[in-house]
Amino acid sequence: MISVDNVSKFYGNVEAVRGISFDVEEGEIVGFLGPNGAGKSTTMKILTGYMPASSGSAYIAGYDVSQDPLNVQKNLGYLPENNPLYPEMTVKEYLDFSASIKGLSNNEKSKSIGSVIEKCGLGNVQSRVIGHLSKGYRQRVGLAQALVNDPPVMLLDEPTSGLDPAQIVEIRNLIKELKGNRTIVLSTHILPEVNMVCDRVVIIHQGKLAAEGELDALADSMNEKNRTLLSVVGDKDIYSDVLKNIEGVETVRLRGVKNGEIHYEVDSVKDLRALLASSIYEKSGKLIEIKKESITLEEIFVKIVSGEINNTEESVDE
Amino acid sequence: MNSVLVVCKRELSSFFFSPIAYVILGVWSLFMGGFFSSAFMQYGMISMQLSRNPQLAAQYNITPTSWILSQQVFASVSVTLLFIIPLLTMKLFSEEKKQGTMEMLLTYPIKDIQILLGKFLSVVSVYILMLLILLVYPILLSTFVRVEWSVIATSFLGIFLMGSSFLAVGLLASSWTSNQIIAAMSAFMILLLSFIVEFLAASAPAIVSAVLRQMSIGLHFKSFVSGIIDTRDVIFFLSLIFICLFLSLRSLESHRWRG
Repeated sequence: MISVDNVSKFYGNVEAVRGISFDVEEGEIVGFLGPNGAGKSTTMKILTGYMPASSGSAYIAGYDVSQDPLNVQKNLGYLPENNPLYPEMTVKEYLDFSASIKGLSNNEKSKSIGSVIEKCGLGNVQSRVIGHLSKGYRQRVGLAQALVNDPPVMLLDEPTSGLDPAQIVEIRNLIKELKGNRTIVLSTHILPEVNMVCDRVVIIHQGKLAAEGELDALADSMNEKNRTLLSVVGDKDIYSDVLKNIEGVETVRLRGVKNGEIHYEVDSVKDLRALLASSIYEKSGKLIEIKKESITLEEIFVKIVSGEINNTEESVDE
Repeated sequence: MNSVLVVCKRELSSFFFSPIAYVILGVWSLFMGGFFSSAFMQYGMISMQLSRNPQLAAQYNITPTSWILSQQVFASVSVTLLFIIPLLTMKLFSEEKKQGTMEMLLTYPIKDIQILLGKFLSVVSVYILMLLILLVYPILLSTFVRVEWSVIATSFLGIFLMGSSFLAVGLLASSWTSNQIIAAMSAFMILLLSFIVEFLAASAPAIVSAVLRQMSIGLHFKSFVSGIIDTRDVIFFLSLIFICLFLSLRSLESHRWRG
């Protein structure tokens, strides 16, 4: 549905985007991540046909973004980063304006405006002036205008930035509801959000593609070792020896003792959870918790940004 | 075409939402009314003096249309527009750039030229409203005396063309910057310059003078007011409009490149 092929963008001499390529399948929600200034917004702007790429090409719904921007834009709902709106218009006037400009006929217009007002929960404020609305409502208006032509592709640039926690949850749920068969690219800084909403992530850093793939696959690929966390009760000297002597265990680290519980971190070549548990029971140890530590999106992100992983080739490339 | 009207409609509704619309229309009515009433009273005194001196009257051949409307009211239109038009056009692109709605607008399925024409059409509509206000004075005058409607018609054509070219200049200036004050000032400076060239022409060498005279808005406007439609003047204003719209389109394009 979305295909980005070796796109670069220069602002004067500064290369903001350097040869990014990725694809998004129909019906997918993809998290588009990267630190500030990584080129996320620039990439989005290129995809909307707002800004021409310096080189490379991009396709949305089969249309070339630079050659056929009108057809791209007809299939697109876009929520820009700062959600710019006309403060002097009422919610309904604004939606009417965006529906008309997106080429909806009068019949379609009243129907779709009604439905997006309902979907985005704007019923109470539909005749109020946008300038007087709270940020949460404005964000919904931004989403509503993006949705008004029922586009198959949506690009949302930081839709939850600057909102309070309750509003973030509302907007996030709204985005989940939009999912259906729509293709959505969502750029954000809030990583738990990605875990909750997205099927896949594309991470860019310094204008380059840093990693791409499904969250689990990405996490697995970055786990160099299998790390198991386990908590036991009893004498810690015994446990250390037991754990160290299990075949396959590389290192055992004592993480700490708290409320009589001893926490260990065990690194091994492969997943040894079953063996660890049975070994502890054999020595009549008291195992109270065992779990595989999986790398979080935060850690992936920080690793990429801090430069621990800098060649794309080594990360998953699907 | 439909998209042009959508953009135009939005511009108009936002224009009449802001107080500047009423300030502009108020100032326009006040100035034109002032010029008309003072010219009307002066004409009363002049015609009284002339009626005592038939020889002088024959020499000057002053009619209510030529004196009140052409020489006083219509002649002051250009200076008044010089101040008003930049205020009317300054927000067209500047405000959208500042608000960031420009980005939104440029990602809608609409061509740049449609945005441009929609915005131009919106200020032209406001300007037509201003001309309707101006039309009140010839009508008022015609209730007292016989007026020459043909001269009034050519004058209005001239005023319309001149004002539209001012609007195009203002639109261009607005496309350059996100600051409304700077947009208004640049439009004002360009328009002022196009009046000043007339005076510069007087003291310049012959060839330069001829070129400068051709660039003067005031000189191209003059024949309309005396009841003449000179195609050179019509072409001058139309090409000024065309050039400004074309440059605005280029300016929009460069806005896309720079982001």
